[in-house]
Amino acid sequence: MKKNKKSQSVLFKVVAYSVCILLVILSILPFWIMFVNATRSTFQIQQDALSFIPSKYLISNIQILLGKTFDPLRGLINSTIISASSTLCTIYFSALTAYALVAYNWKLRSPFFTFIMAVMMIPAQVSSIGFYQFMYKIGMTNNFLALILPTIATPAAVFFMRQFMLASLPLELVEAARIDGAGEFYTFNKIVLPIMKPAMATQAIFSFVSSWNSLFLPLILLTKSEKYTMPIMVSLLRGDIYKTEYGAVYLGLALTVLPIFIIYFLLSKYIVEGVALGGVKG
Amino acid sequence: MKRKKGVSYAKYGYIFSIPFAVIFLIFSLYPILYTALLGFTDFKGLGTKSWHFLDNPFQNFILILNNDSFRQSLSNTFIIWTANFIPQILLALVLTAWFTSRRNKLKGKGLFKVIFYLPNIITAASIAILFYSLFGYPVGPVNSLLIKLGLIDTPVYFLINKATARGIVAFIQFWMWYGYTMIILVSGVLGISPDIYEAAEIDGTTGLQAFWYITLPNLKTILLYVLITSMIGGLNMYDIPKMFMQGGPDNATLTTSVFIYNQAFSGSYLYNRAAAASMIMFLIIAFFSAILFYLLRDKDAIERRKENKRMRKAYKERQEAEKL
Amino acid sequence: MKRVLSLLLVVLMMFSLVACGSGSQPANEANNAAPSTPAAEPSAAPSTTEPSSTKKIVLNVWSFTDEVPKMIEKFLEMNPDFAAKYEISTTIIATTEGAYQPALDQALASGGKDAPDIYTAEAAFVLKYAQGDASQYAAPYKDLGIDVDKAITDAEIAQYTKDIGTNGNGDVVALGYQATGGAYIYRRSIAKDVWGTDDPAEIAKIIGPGWDKFYAAAAELKAKGYGIVSGDGDVWHAVENSSEKGWVADGKFVMDPKREAFLDLSKELKDKGYHNDTQDWQDAWYADMKDAGEKKILGFFGPAWMINYVIAGNSGETFGDWAVCEPPVGFFWGGTWVLGSASSEKKEAVGQIINWITLDTTEQGLQYMWANGTLNGPGGTKDTVASGKVMGMSDGTLEFLAGQDMFEVFIPANQFANGKNLTQYDETINLYWRDQVRAYSAGEKSREDAIKDLKQMVRDNLDIIVE
Repeated sequence: MKKNKKSQSVLFKVVAYSVCILLVILSILPFWIMFVNATRSTFQIQQDALSFIPSKYLISNIQILLGKTFDPLRGLINSTIISASSTLCTIYFSALTAYALVAYNWKLRSPFFTFIMAVMMIPAQVSSIGFYQFMYKIGMTNNFLALILPTIATPAAVFFMRQFMLASLPLELVEAARIDGAGEFYTFNKIVLPIMKPAMATQAIFSFVSSWNSLFLPLILLTKSEKYTMPIMVSLLRGDIYKTEYGAVYLGLALTVLPIFIIYFLLSKYIVEGVALGGVKG
Repeated sequence: MKRKKGVSYAKYGYIFSIPFAVIFLIFSLYPILYTALLGFTDFKGLGTKSWHFLDNPFQNFILILNNDSFRQSLSNTFIIWTANFIPQILLALVLTAWFTSRRNKLKGKGLFKVIFYLPNIITAASIAILFYSLFGYPVGPVNSLLIKLGLIDTPVYFLINKATARGIVAFIQFWMWYGYTMIILVSGVLGISPDIYEAAEIDGTTGLQAFWYITLPNLKTILLYVLITSMIGGLNMYDIPKMFMQGGPDNATLTTSVFIYNQAFSGSYLYNRAAAASMIMFLIIAFFSAILFYLLRDKDAIERRKENKRMRKAYKERQEAEKL
Repeated sequence: MKRVLSLLLVVLMMFSLVACGSGSQPANEANNAAPSTPAAEPSAAPSTTEPSSTKKIVLNVWSFTDEVPKMIEKFLEMNPDFAAKYEISTTIIATTEGAYQPALDQALASGGKDAPDIYTAEAAFVLKYAQGDASQYAAPYKDLGIDVDKAITDAEIAQYTKDIGTNGNGDVVALGYQATGGAYIYRRSIAKDVWGTDDPAEIAKIIGPGWDKFYAAAAELKAKGYGIVSGDGDVWHAVENSSEKGWVADGKFVMDPKREAFLDLSKELKDKGYHNDTQDWQDAWYADMKDAGEKKILGFFGPAWMINYVIAGNSGETFGDWAVCEPPVGFFWGGTWVLGSASSEKKEAVGQIINWITLDTTEQGLQYMWANGTLNGPGGTKDTVASGKVMGMSDGTLEFLAGQDMFEVFIPANQFANGKNLTQYDETINLYWRDQVRAYSAGEKSREDAIKDLKQMVRDNLDIIVE
């Protein structure tokens, strides 16, 4: 009986590790190719897009990159401002809105939630044009706020926070704070937010990544070179199909992905430990 | 006394929703109303200044519903979404079970979890280009590999085959999103109180039983989130199908979102038809979301709500009685 | 959260170090000055040293690459008087994601202080801005203070460049600087092996004129184990521009017989094994430029940029074994047109810049520098330009072509190009058509179905009557 169990466990481990290692390879491969291509010349890439062996054109790619309208420092600062502010807005206000939906009984609660869900379902292609026209009319093109402020109302994030709060926010704790005479806003900031920290970190990763990579709206809203984000700069490199410098494009992509890498691995502690919910023990 | 307080807190529900509501009214309401209205008008073409509501307000909707490419895109979207979502959620659930298993502790599971999310942080455009070169014809890595292994003699033109093209798009979506789904599920599982598992273990439940009877039911709210967002994301799938093969070959990977984009921007600027198609998609997504909400509804919560309502009513009645 | 912020700071600092380190290389500073520094600083006009007390007039330039903006920087550098009065505010939006056109359209329609004064359009969509839905925003060159008819004649601007840039009222609103008349770019050694000569004049007579002769030549090549082109896409660009009619006329879909015949041309190439069945812009296509494909390929169709930007760099060992000759049918491919805004209040300044780019035939004009590759100092890439006169003054010999003067072929090539069959729907319909032809020649569907499906796609996606 015991032996049987042991062999079962060995079998489980063999299967699990094989699957995981396969998935690890699949996950890392594109990054490896991207970084390798950043060191290859355009013509090498054109004739053989995938290679695992780095080449020696990194310096020349850097020179090409800097010779174009590509200023990594500026792009990095702009992208960071937009993505960091968007992320902060998203997680804080989504948590606040979700808290309103979970912790209080108000008449319009479920209509409001239904409404938030509905907003999430509208395909973005047409409404993004309406958004652009509106921004152009009120003169908010080339203004980071046009990209940051709207993230205060992020339906998907509210939905996410709400589901986590429903599952794991102990409302007794809120009750207890009230009895202690704490204000509602104070309770939210000092008691609810810390409990939600792991969920917020998860959401922070998701929204930072999507904001950092987002291209279409920034591309049409931010048209002055001093406002460009990293992805805009990369897309400009690809703009002229007749003479695209692929080596420089990959270098640009690699430079774009590096900062998210760092942010991601920093926040990943929450993924590793699991976003342990119900922070209060017992 | 206590109950009275409970009622007065309702105003905070409104107060805390203000930032969301205000920002929404400023930034999103106009574009959404604009989209909803355009569908009923004759607004098309570039630089058009004036537009009118159509005599038959549903003309655009009828045109779209009778549009062969739209129908094709609708079925493509469903095929590609199903083909990516079912394996995706299954793999995510399996990984979740492995990584949260109390019996079999996998070494390095933290690292695995972190790495599996990585495909999600590269931009869709780069991934589309990568896969396009992978399946290159007549020379490409997949073709050379298959020839080396002796599985084929002459190179295969993968991307001219509709099923293959759809399959690759579905695979890319699967590969980009299973890690995301898994992370959310894992965090949901870790939110379940360990006491329940401990009790189950004492009763002699196996790992599989525990997953089936404890984990899954307790994961309901999170699962609802995963299902709804995957569905919305899947039915609005745009980046990969657009950038991988522009909806080709022969419309095989044309999704509804790519169709909508093409209506609006591929030459004729049919904003009105694009808007009508958007609204049709919205209704379809809303319909399926409603079904999911219904299926995964929290029966206890509904009970609680009913209870609340009863109490409030009783409270009101009592107040009125007091007044008298 | 604090930790995240501090990390962000660290990252920022790291990158600033990287950026500063590379920025201090003198070679880079020279040619990337303006676009990378904030426009608030007066760096846009580095030649003006003393800070002018009067505020400069801003000219808004919209483009989809930094090519034209960099030319305008050069113009400011060469004309300090102009630079003292005007400064340039550049907006570059890539055509990737289809973002350039919607944004430009919106800016043109809305006007205001950010509205473009000068904007550019690529061959794929220039028709829309010169003759199509957005033509009302373009100012006729004559309103910009340019004596356009005389200047065009004097500069010997290619007819197709002018045809494309002429709006419905017969006014010229757009011209290009680059000429993109196409030729057949072939391998000398293969030609010698098969026909005993590599002389461009002789080869032109063997492969053309007309597709029949081209396919006869293909059969001869095939007998010796060579292919005539790399894939059917190579033939398409020549076919597209040799047709009498475009895809759309008077709001109705038109199938020009020559374009329809592309089905058969493509099928024949595939069935008889005249090519390596590659797709343009994919790995295998590039590989054929240095004999790395299944069989060696005689040549490619393309304008001068095809030599400079694509083939030369990819040619590897075959560098110097190339020549250009007249193609079996005349065509052009690509190019950028420059337009001025009708609502601009700075028409004179706009006119000066546009004139310098598109019509100035002196050695200080853009086109002379462009043709001789001297815009950014000597040794740059030589290219064909719109003005035949400038090309006549310039030297187009290339080592890559074993010393052949490419201008001798490309100047007449520009005359064969036809700009009358373009429509604003070309980009979209070409995409559908290539897709259908590919399916047909691969045996995935019948000829009738391919045409039927094309029509269906046009009907479904565009506001065009299809009969």
